[in-house]
Amino acid sequence: MPGWTRAFATSDTRGVGGAVGLGLTLALVIVAAFAGAIAPLDPFASVAPPLSPPSRAHALGTDDLGRDLLAGIVHGARTSLLVVLSVTLLASVIGVAIGAVAGYRGGSTDDVLMRLTEFVQVVPRFFLAVLVIALFGPGLDRLVLVLGLTSWSAIARVVRAETLSLARREFVEAAHALGAPAARVLARHVLPNALPAAVVVVSVNAGTVILMEAGLGFIGLGDPHAISWGYLANNAQRFLRVAWWMALFPGAAIALAVLGLNLLGDGLNDVIDPRTRRPTSW
Amino acid sequence: MRRHLPAVLVVLVLSVAWGISPRTEAQDSPSRGGTLVVAIVADPGHLNPAITTSGATHAAAELIYNGLLGRDERGDPTPDLAQSWMIEQGGAVYRFRLRDGVTWHDGKPFTAADVKFTFEDVLLKFHARTKASMGGALAGIDAPDGRTVVFRFKQPYAPLLLQLDATEAPIVARHVYQGSDPQTHPANVNPVGTGAFKAVSYRKGAEIRLAANPAYFKQGLPYLDEIVMRVIPDASTQVLALENGEVDFLWGVPGPHQARLKADARFRTAQTSYHPGGSNCIMTVSFNLDRPALKDARVRRAVAHALDRDAFLEQILFGEGRVAAAPISSEMASGHARGLSLPGFDRAEAERLLDAAGWKKEQGATRVARGVAGVADSTPLAIDFLHFPAFAKYGELMRQHLGAVGIEVTQRPLEPSVFAPTVFKNRAFDTNVISYCNGPDPEIGVRRMYHSTQIGTAPFTNAAAYRNDKVDALFDQASRTVERDRRGALYRQIQEIVAQDLPYVWLVETPTTRAWAARCGGFRPWTGLFAEAAFCKRS
Amino acid sequence: MSPRYLLRRLLQVVPAVAGIVLLAFVVIHTAPGDPAVALGGEHGDEAYYAFIRARFGLDRPLPEQLLTYVTSVLRGDLGQSYVHGRPVAHVVAERLPATLLLMGSALALSSIAGILLGVFAARRADRPADLAVRTAALLGHATPSFWLAQLAAITLALGTGLFPVQGITDPRQSWTGWRYALGVLHHLALPALVLAAGELALTTRLTRTGVLEALGTDYARTARAKGLPERAVVRHALRNALLPVVTVIGGRFGMLCTGAVLVETVFAWPGLGQLMLSSILTRDIPVLLGLFVLVSLAVIAANLLTDVAYAWLDPRVRYE
Repeated sequence: MPGWTRAFATSDTRGVGGAVGLGLTLALVIVAAFAGAIAPLDPFASVAPPLSPPSRAHALGTDDLGRDLLAGIVHGARTSLLVVLSVTLLASVIGVAIGAVAGYRGGSTDDVLMRLTEFVQVVPRFFLAVLVIALFGPGLDRLVLVLGLTSWSAIARVVRAETLSLARREFVEAAHALGAPAARVLARHVLPNALPAAVVVVSVNAGTVILMEAGLGFIGLGDPHAISWGYLANNAQRFLRVAWWMALFPGAAIALAVLGLNLLGDGLNDVIDPRTRRPTSW
Repeated sequence: MRRHLPAVLVVLVLSVAWGISPRTEAQDSPSRGGTLVVAIVADPGHLNPAITTSGATHAAAELIYNGLLGRDERGDPTPDLAQSWMIEQGGAVYRFRLRDGVTWHDGKPFTAADVKFTFEDVLLKFHARTKASMGGALAGIDAPDGRTVVFRFKQPYAPLLLQLDATEAPIVARHVYQGSDPQTHPANVNPVGTGAFKAVSYRKGAEIRLAANPAYFKQGLPYLDEIVMRVIPDASTQVLALENGEVDFLWGVPGPHQARLKADARFRTAQTSYHPGGSNCIMTVSFNLDRPALKDARVRRAVAHALDRDAFLEQILFGEGRVAAAPISSEMASGHARGLSLPGFDRAEAERLLDAAGWKKEQGATRVARGVAGVADSTPLAIDFLHFPAFAKYGELMRQHLGAVGIEVTQRPLEPSVFAPTVFKNRAFDTNVISYCNGPDPEIGVRRMYHSTQIGTAPFTNAAAYRNDKVDALFDQASRTVERDRRGALYRQIQEIVAQDLPYVWLVETPTTRAWAARCGGFRPWTGLFAEAAFCKRS
Repeated sequence: MSPRYLLRRLLQVVPAVAGIVLLAFVVIHTAPGDPAVALGGEHGDEAYYAFIRARFGLDRPLPEQLLTYVTSVLRGDLGQSYVHGRPVAHVVAERLPATLLLMGSALALSSIAGILLGVFAARRADRPADLAVRTAALLGHATPSFWLAQLAAITLALGTGLFPVQGITDPRQSWTGWRYALGVLHHLALPALVLAAGELALTTRLTRTGVLEALGTDYARTARAKGLPERAVVRHALRNALLPVVTVIGGRFGMLCTGAVLVETVFAWPGLGQLMLSSILTRDIPVLLGLFVLVSLAVIAANLLTDVAYAWLDPRVRYE
């Protein structure tokens, strides 16, 4: 083997994955934030002959109603990010509350809350989302609600673990004796320490949320008023053999976004826990 | 070389002769035997088409049965279980002579008692279209002997002959169903019929296997040994399966694939408006005539002018279908009014009408009311549009086209279970789109859209709440007129009136395209007994 | 593993099951529209809906309805599907074997592949090969399974003509015995491969982590110092690393169910996924409800089994 290939094969790639993940995730955020600038065309407007392949005017082609696919993907990124942020916010609020209370109080409160956490972890989110949307009708708000209310268990565990380890420290007991409210201790000491582990968990969960939105859209339960990657994937099904670009680009976008989020999570995980490399919960 | 010349010449001549001789198409000469694999979109649930109008059940199961009559390519009645018929008393009495020697799949003989039982105990109780149309008009059915059935009506009843095929009135066995509940009888899964094929096995969710009926009463039929109905819900997968040779016949080819399949010599296609769940369908936009903004006919006419119906045809149906030229489907020659002028695509005219009706374009993109009866000034012209989730594309085009003339449209997709009560019970809508299927005869599918007695809570009736005494009277008269041309003239008058009043906008007719492997042929796509005379050459 | 632990673990199942049933009940009753229409379909008339109301006790006070529902579920009565005209439990039971076959093969394939890849990656930890393997595995997870399935159907099935695009059997043949089994395997190949590919990322990661941990322990260092070949050390590390892999099968079960629905849709595999799709189209709520309850119970059961297996395999574990 020539020298440089051997050097390559044995080079240290720690952190490369995380860097790539960070890059992809940042790209996702930037594209979503500046959707209007990157693709000024209205994703809902028919602007070109339907089913035209990628060209100079329309870099990713057009769909069956003549809508620009690049605009669709870019605005879809915005929708996905919006859903991810809303779900994360909802799940974090619940998760932090439950994890902190469980870790702080301990005892039977902890037991009950941990049972609740285990229960929520077990609920199959996709099937619940299908049931809820079939009953309540499609809409991003329902999706966010269902996923947010069922995705907090990992965050709760992380916060609880951090709270437990801190609660025993002397300075916390001292602060208590001085009359400092529990919430302040929580905000000042627990949360910042729990943040790295929580970010790892959140980034992996974000990938799952994107995949679920896409899957639900694929089977026809997506929100018809929002351009989303799931909607694009569903729309592309019928045109698989006549317009490959309609299926390829949304699928690739989803794959890259979820890959990026997972690589980021993995990279962060390696950083915060290089020795034991605790597996993140899925 | 010289020595071989004669031989070479002979070979040359023979090859030329072979080359220019007419090739017999696979279609022309039926061959016996073989298995036909048909793709169906959904599991039928059971195999009794007499108790339901579900397309899935009819597509899978009609070949197991027969009706009294069949239909030919033009839609005219042909003999099936009945070999001849007579119309008496101006259409109030129909007398049918049944074929001799017909047996059920279990060997028992078929008689007129089976027909009487099927209508009285099964169809008129459970088959929605037959119940709604014949139920009120029928006085009684008699079976004076084993081979004669007499239908007696209270008044002359025109549509009967088109309602007696295997889709509208399949005949089931009295000796099987008598005395039990037809909806839960195990024979629904192990059916006994008179048809060209018998049911052999039914694996839920996967496939239904039918085998040829050796004792079929039509001599020489069927040609096939076996038919397998495979459940493949995804339309794209169906096309892939056809191309991969795993499936031979598709009930419907999705629009995007049609051009490709038509150009491929390995397949044949045929377009038809017949569908086992409901034929001659038109995608129709309804106006809620109780809403103040829509009471003015000029507004409705403006909406009609603003819609580019060709765009609907091209972008949603991929050219498969026709822009509706009249309120009654062009597939129904006796009812369709030719040469009627429905509002064409004319944005300028739409804007002019809206201005004239008091809806002015001011600051924003949406028009506001100025002096419109029943509407406060400065109210924006914003309407909602209800639809099944599957018809979302219609909503998108409505929004685009009407937005261009200053009407704001909000799409509201509703689950079927919520759509029906919202539209028909609560009447909580401005506009909606419904696939109204005209059925085999206007009496069956068209009357319910316009007659004032059909305004009510039953789903898919008169959504617009249209009331016109003249139209009511014309419909009543048409149902009693048996003579075809006179009937056609009455329906023409109806269509001329509603084309002026515009309670609906008739968008597009939606036929489907069947496709099959070229080595098979003999299909009759215009009827449910589509494979009765089908054959497949061994490849 | 003590009988006390087993009993405790079994008892934990009860509140979980109760929670699932309660959740299902709450969802049905907070939905808009008339529950009678949701449970009975929109094509009924007044008499039919009165019948539905009586059958499901929809006019009773809510607590009584909940009790009825709970007892029904425990008896195995998941309600009646008006679309199929038969009990939901029957409809589901008919399609269960096909899905179990698909999920089982995918589980086996992805487990084996994941373990092999995990070991490979662990031995070349932090080097390009490790990154490549982990990224490839993650890519399998990140790519939507329906997209992968469609790609496979077009390239591997239609493209090469080697595999069928749909179904579980060849409709033209009525084989029996081993020829039937071979036919099923032929149809199973692509869907199982696609489902496994989407799923092996977790196993790969866990095996890699576990092997790395074990390779870093004192035992491993001692063994190496004593001159034991690396292969033997890795083998021992693997044995310890497999324990977490077993634990996580319960969690993977849920993911497999979701993936199975999407893959079955593309390949027209006649299992529960296809049932779910058709029930969504017809808004057959009783079936969707039943599937949710069933999958939840299955995930609970899978978790229980893997916990018990873990405890049995590793006597060092104490769950007191």
